[in-house]
Amino acid sequence: MSELKVSHRYPFPPEKVFDAWLDPKVARRFLFATPTGEMIRADVDPRVGGRFIFVDRRPDTGDVEHVGEYVEIDRPRRLVFTFAVPQYDPGNTTVTLTFAPDGDGCVVVLSHAGVLEEWVKQTVQGWTMILASLETALS
Amino acid sequence: MLDATLIALADPTRRAILSRLAEGEARVTDVARPFPISLNSVSKHIRMLERAKLVRRRVEGREHFLALDPAPLDEAADWIAAQKTLWAWRLGELEKALTDE
Repeated sequence: MSELKVSHRYPFPPEKVFDAWLDPKVARRFLFATPTGEMIRADVDPRVGGRFIFVDRRPDTGDVEHVGEYVEIDRPRRLVFTFAVPQYDPGNTTVTLTFAPDGDGCVVVLSHAGVLEEWVKQTVQGWTMILASLETALS
Repeated sequence: MLDATLIALADPTRRAILSRLAEGEARVTDVARPFPISLNSVSKHIRMLERAKLVRRRVEGREHFLALDPAPLDEAADWIAAQKTLWAWRLGELEKALTDE
């Protein structure tokens, strides 16, 4: 078990990939989207302190609203925003994105902390230890 | 339930208690012994772990035994894995969106 972190390489320059996160036309196609959902609302106010709202209509759970605020906009290197899904949990989580040039493309690293912050960040080691000892105990 | 699990795991003493119990069932007094805090403080941690259903208590005469219940850990691990899968899927969708442009 490690920190919640995923990365992806894009065959596009960092600027293009960065802008996609703040452009509602592109963002609605992936950000807060789910494989079976339909994005029915994507409003963004792309400045530090600006807010966004994405509403994904899902066949199983209905409309799921994601709201958040931009914390850091450092084009095309870093983008940080908070978000919450108020109907599930009023607590904010934080998503940090870094965009690193990679040849003719770029690598995006996404880390998601917040709900997780309390424990994942400070306790990756403890968690790893628990799961390891659990494995020992069960085997 | 997931929240209770995550909160229960957010403390080093409680994680240490779980690690101890991962080795097998133990008496409350034995679990508490290695900690440089009062039995009362350890008991509070144990009660939180019981509320999170990570620890089960069995009473035999005057002895209280504790055992680990790993089921909520599985749920937490599943949740993390699902979040991770979802973000990976979204990053792939972004590539598709940019390719279509």
